[in-house]
Amino acid sequence: MGDAIVGVVANPLSGRDIRRLVTQASVFPTAEKANMIQRMLTALAAVGVQRVLLGTDLGGISAAVFRAIERRRGAGGRWPEVEFLDGQPIRQTAQDTVDAVRRMVTAGAQVIVCLGGDGTARVTASAAGDVPMLALSTGTNNTFPAVREATIAGLAAGLVATGTVPADDVTARAKLLEARVGDRAETALIDVAVSTERHVGSRAVWDPATLTQLFCAFAEPDAIGLSSILGQLSPVARHEPHGVTARLTPEAPRTVLAPIAPGLVVPVGVSEVERMHPGSVHPIDARAGVIAVDGERELTFEPGESPTVRLRADGPRCLDVPAVLAASARLGLLRRTRDWQRGQSPSSSEDLHAPTV
Amino acid sequence: MTDTVERKALTREQLLSAYRMMRAIREFEERVHAEFASGEIPGFVHLYAGEEASAVGVCSNLDDRDTIASTHRGHGHCIAKGVDVGEMMAEIYGRKTGSCHGKGGSMHIADLSKGMLGANGIVGGGPPLICGTALAAKLKGTGGVSVAFFGDGASNQGTTLESMNLASVWNLPVMFVAENNGYAETTSSTWSVASDNIADRAAGFGMPGVIVDGFDFFAVHEAASEAIARARAGGGPTLLEMKFTRYFGHFEGDQQTYRAGEVEHARAELDCLRRFATRVTATGELTQSDLDAADAEVAATIDRAVDEAKAAPPPAEADLLTDVYVRY
Repeated sequence: MGDAIVGVVANPLSGRDIRRLVTQASVFPTAEKANMIQRMLTALAAVGVQRVLLGTDLGGISAAVFRAIERRRGAGGRWPEVEFLDGQPIRQTAQDTVDAVRRMVTAGAQVIVCLGGDGTARVTASAAGDVPMLALSTGTNNTFPAVREATIAGLAAGLVATGTVPADDVTARAKLLEARVGDRAETALIDVAVSTERHVGSRAVWDPATLTQLFCAFAEPDAIGLSSILGQLSPVARHEPHGVTARLTPEAPRTVLAPIAPGLVVPVGVSEVERMHPGSVHPIDARAGVIAVDGERELTFEPGESPTVRLRADGPRCLDVPAVLAASARLGLLRRTRDWQRGQSPSSSEDLHAPTV
Repeated sequence: MTDTVERKALTREQLLSAYRMMRAIREFEERVHAEFASGEIPGFVHLYAGEEASAVGVCSNLDDRDTIASTHRGHGHCIAKGVDVGEMMAEIYGRKTGSCHGKGGSMHIADLSKGMLGANGIVGGGPPLICGTALAAKLKGTGGVSVAFFGDGASNQGTTLESMNLASVWNLPVMFVAENNGYAETTSSTWSVASDNIADRAAGFGMPGVIVDGFDFFAVHEAASEAIARARAGGGPTLLEMKFTRYFGHFEGDQQTYRAGEVEHARAELDCLRRFATRVTATGELTQSDLDAADAEVAATIDRAVDEAKAAPPPAEADLLTDVYVRY
């Protein structure tokens, strides 16, 4: 077996958009993203990951990690070998994430961790292929990525990357929504919303009065974001095969009070709630407007373009962090002997089948 | 319910006006670039081409109650705030008919009647000024908002940081607009700005900080409209960071050995005028002939401004002691 390799990509722009202004959304400083990666490196080393491939950026995250590695030289404390994925142009767009993730896949990463919001997870998923991904929240609207301590995420990613916990046991394939306008297409991991606004503008969607249709791959009752609208009316779990769609109109007889963005709880009129089945194609009725994927305006459409939305079952393989650590507890993977504490191999466990204490 | 701005689509007239304004800035700067090479223009000029969406996206949300403070790269802000382009051109040529009677030049164009406090040769000189006008607006209850444009270099100046603190402490109706074009003269902001994103500094002053695609008029307009409405309603200051590229050097004559390929890429792929035109014609909000007519009108205005500036007299000796003190 080759090296255990984990890819890590962090979006330097996540958590910076207009929602800081309109809805008091949280701020995630560059320094904290870099700190999260460092905590993850410590955890990855502890469970025997040898190599980490780190995406590069001009936002200062990879530079801060680089400086931290330099400072640690000779000071003890193992980290995996960190390979910076530089050498190609940084555009400061989502394409940087796509490029980095593709290189991680090609280089044989067993797990890819992304730090960002729903938008970053969506872009990572589009390039990760069959490699399990773990999305950590450092963005605005975090329905897909989990708010989770990076150290724990690092342990889980490491246990899977080293093969200590079989990936098949702790990953599940997510659903995907595909929005299509002619030959242009975007995918969403959570929701596709149709807005009557004409321009992409500042991307975020925060005014429900502009929304006419909503499609959700899943809709959890405790979600934040547009999927919360249907999460309170017709919940759909991530593991269920179907999705749900509805029309949104202020005139609808039924209204739901929904947290459509951090800091924004608004009444939304909902009608014609229907199930979406995998593969079936749903037309978008508005003549012209903008399609928002996972809460961000991305695709404009004009009269005559007849956009559609389709639910797909072939989304990214997502790593279930609690399941990995539960397996670890069950199998005693993080237990160590006194001998190990005196300097034995970092990845040798005391006894895979040790009884619980 | 939300306390954000009700989202209204821009009218045809508003879109056309925004386009005309951005085109006027571009045409003005391209023309100054060409004329400066002839040696007729005294002093230094710092051109704003490439950054038009910022000035126009912000100022199209302002009215006569509002004031702005600008930078050494101030032509775009002046035009967007309504300063007469003929008077601006005359000022740059050092003529008596200029906005400041030909005594200020490019870096000191001001027109208080338009709420334009002035271009400013002092890096970081603008933010303290707008704290003053914002305090005045607040105490007088005019509903006026003050906007400071400043660059990535000025984002490291004490004056800027002190002003952000003051604006927050006094809850002033202010918007700080960091125009991050990547270089303070020749120094990359990735080297000189410790927080990497200028917007990140807002958190330290207890105000929202937002990064905006400075090449996209619609993104700028939306963000600015929210921040300005917030300020007008007593919500306090906001920091917007525009990320973009200037098309010319720091000043005319700058060899630009510190960058390669950026301008060509920006002009070809990101240009604010081209993106605006593509969008509004795709939606049918404006037609190509609307835009062509605006282009022709702007070109004629700039031609006239240059011809009149060249023909106008310089200040006379007798003007030396006028305008030394100004009563506000």
